[in-house]
Amino acid sequence: MENKKLKKILDAFLVPVLAILSGLVLMAVLIAITGKPVLESYGILFSKAFGCEKIGNCAIITTLERATPIILTGLAAVVAFRSGMFCIGQEGQYLMAAVVAGYLGYAIHLPNGVHQIVILLACMAAGAAYGYIPGFLKVKLGVNELLATIILNTVATLFIEYMVQFPMRGDKSTTAHSPTIDATAQLPTFLPGAKWGVGFIIAVLAVIVIFIYLWKTKAGYEQRMAGQSKFFALYGGVSSDKAALRAMLISGALAGLAGAIEVMGVHRRIMTGFSTGLGFDGLTAAILGQTHPFGVFIVSILFAGLKLGAQLGLQLKLGIPRELGGTIIGFIILFIAARKFYENNIDRVSSWLKKPKKLKAKREEN
Amino acid sequence: MEGFFSVFTIELANSGIRLATPLILAALGGALCNKSGVLNLALESKMLMGAFVGIVAAYYLGNSYLGLLVAILAGGLLGALFAFLYHKYEVDLVILAIAFNLIILELTVYMMRIMFGNVGSWSDPSIVRIPDIEIPLIKDIPVIGGILSGYNIIVYFSWFMTIAMYIVLYKMKFGRHIRAVGENKEAAETVGINATLIQTMALTISGMLAALGGAFLSIGHLKLFTRNMSNGRGWTAIAAALFGANHPIGTFLASLFFGITEAFSVRIQNVTDLPPNLIELLPNFATLIVLISIALREKVRETNARRHFRARLKAEEQQKAA
Repeated sequence: MENKKLKKILDAFLVPVLAILSGLVLMAVLIAITGKPVLESYGILFSKAFGCEKIGNCAIITTLERATPIILTGLAAVVAFRSGMFCIGQEGQYLMAAVVAGYLGYAIHLPNGVHQIVILLACMAAGAAYGYIPGFLKVKLGVNELLATIILNTVATLFIEYMVQFPMRGDKSTTAHSPTIDATAQLPTFLPGAKWGVGFIIAVLAVIVIFIYLWKTKAGYEQRMAGQSKFFALYGGVSSDKAALRAMLISGALAGLAGAIEVMGVHRRIMTGFSTGLGFDGLTAAILGQTHPFGVFIVSILFAGLKLGAQLGLQLKLGIPRELGGTIIGFIILFIAARKFYENNIDRVSSWLKKPKKLKAKREEN
Repeated sequence: MEGFFSVFTIELANSGIRLATPLILAALGGALCNKSGVLNLALESKMLMGAFVGIVAAYYLGNSYLGLLVAILAGGLLGALFAFLYHKYEVDLVILAIAFNLIILELTVYMMRIMFGNVGSWSDPSIVRIPDIEIPLIKDIPVIGGILSGYNIIVYFSWFMTIAMYIVLYKMKFGRHIRAVGENKEAAETVGINATLIQTMALTISGMLAALGGAFLSIGHLKLFTRNMSNGRGWTAIAAALFGANHPIGTFLASLFFGITEAFSVRIQNVTDLPPNLIELLPNFATLIVLISIALREKVRETNARRHFRARLKAEEQQKAA
């Protein structure tokens, strides 16, 4: 029994770890072609991503801040994937919620404490509503959710650009942005000068809540069952349609939360170019994190750290372009997707390791 | 209102056709993939790679046409790699596309910065833009000549490709095989069609076309490379293929619609205060409506078939009883 559990854990971790190692090896190659010292680069990358030189100037704090929206959009992807909805609409839901947060932040005035909660709830509702559209189209009309969400993402990107440039434009500066949100709408931070704050706590709570929902509640069980086999779920008396719709609502609300926190805690307004692909980062975190909430949590922090380390460490200190971080993340996803390649080789190695034992046993029998 | 109508000129058609060209090429590839049953969401990355490889090759080889050729080859290679990973290691195509969209986006900038210094966009005076060609005879027809003539070779090639793909898909046996694989892979394989080969070919060709579309951006239209130069055009191309119901002619017209709306929204800013982003929303909504109507048609067909089946069952039972 114990052994079986260990093997399961090993299986879940072995391929991601191998993929990450392959990514780091590839990074060495990409650094080497620039002619910069490879080993030193690794040191600088990790110290700028996870190190802590002095209190108040901690790299890990910024990493955690950057990881927050990725954790939430990653969770959104997990909930959708686990119900069998292959939806990549997190980016759109995140942007729609950001518009709502940016607007409510300056348009209504409420006391501190109430204002933030109102915005958070409104953003969750906005994200959920935008997530409900592809869910409804899929369940009721049979429209492919993947294709529908691709278009909805474009629509959301154009919509936020329109809102920033026209109705919500703050002043006539060269880059369009909305007015700064009220102080009562901003999320408190833990340290002066850093933007790491309540948003991260919300993300951690969301990880725990989603874990409990998916694995410890009836609704979550139904949802996972619907995701694994639609017909089996039907046979067991579970309406997979209902489960899928519920999943899309929850998923949208999570992505909406990410948008809200990004506006209320980090940028404090929305501007042109607000969409930087955070929704896609969440998707990749979900894939790399084995579509498990805890996996998403770990991977999101790794991602954010890799990007930050590449930006602050490699680019500023060594002059290696910061795009290296994103490139490596992309390759790691590729290696994860090619898990069959690793599994084949792992099988080969393990059978090769077992062989001598079998031979020995045979010899003893004789 | 006067300003509104002043936008409709031959120049609008010209720039619409130019903006549509990369979309047409990528969307045709996407449609071919959809027809053969593989979903290609990596058009964006193939386009971006074509843009980068095309301009770099044009710079080093000193000839922009050779740059196009290298871009096409690179796109084909990437497409073939997709097919290899998909068939050999059963890699999910969607995840593969997500991975490559990220890799190419970052890697092109990384390579640009390593090769040409820390720059946000790169160009070199020695690079020659692909020259425009006037078609003799046609160019002298009033109005139509102005619309149909005066583009570079990539634009004409995109028109040729549309017709060629229509003929191959709908008028040739090989095209029937492709469509058969897309409709039902197992059934096609049982009658001896090599589905793996057909899907590999579709992915390779779509990689070539998307890369050519990307090269059009960097050496056919502008003459520079910037970060994320394709700027979502790959995703738009997917939408255009869907809007055109994966039919070559339909895809061509849909891409043209997207291109002209883009040209229109750029021009309209100068004469009226209509917001350009909202105009660009139009073709996206149209695509969504097409997606829904295709799904609805499928649903109606299914219900009809079921009703038909039930009616026949009933009739048979009655016959037996009698």
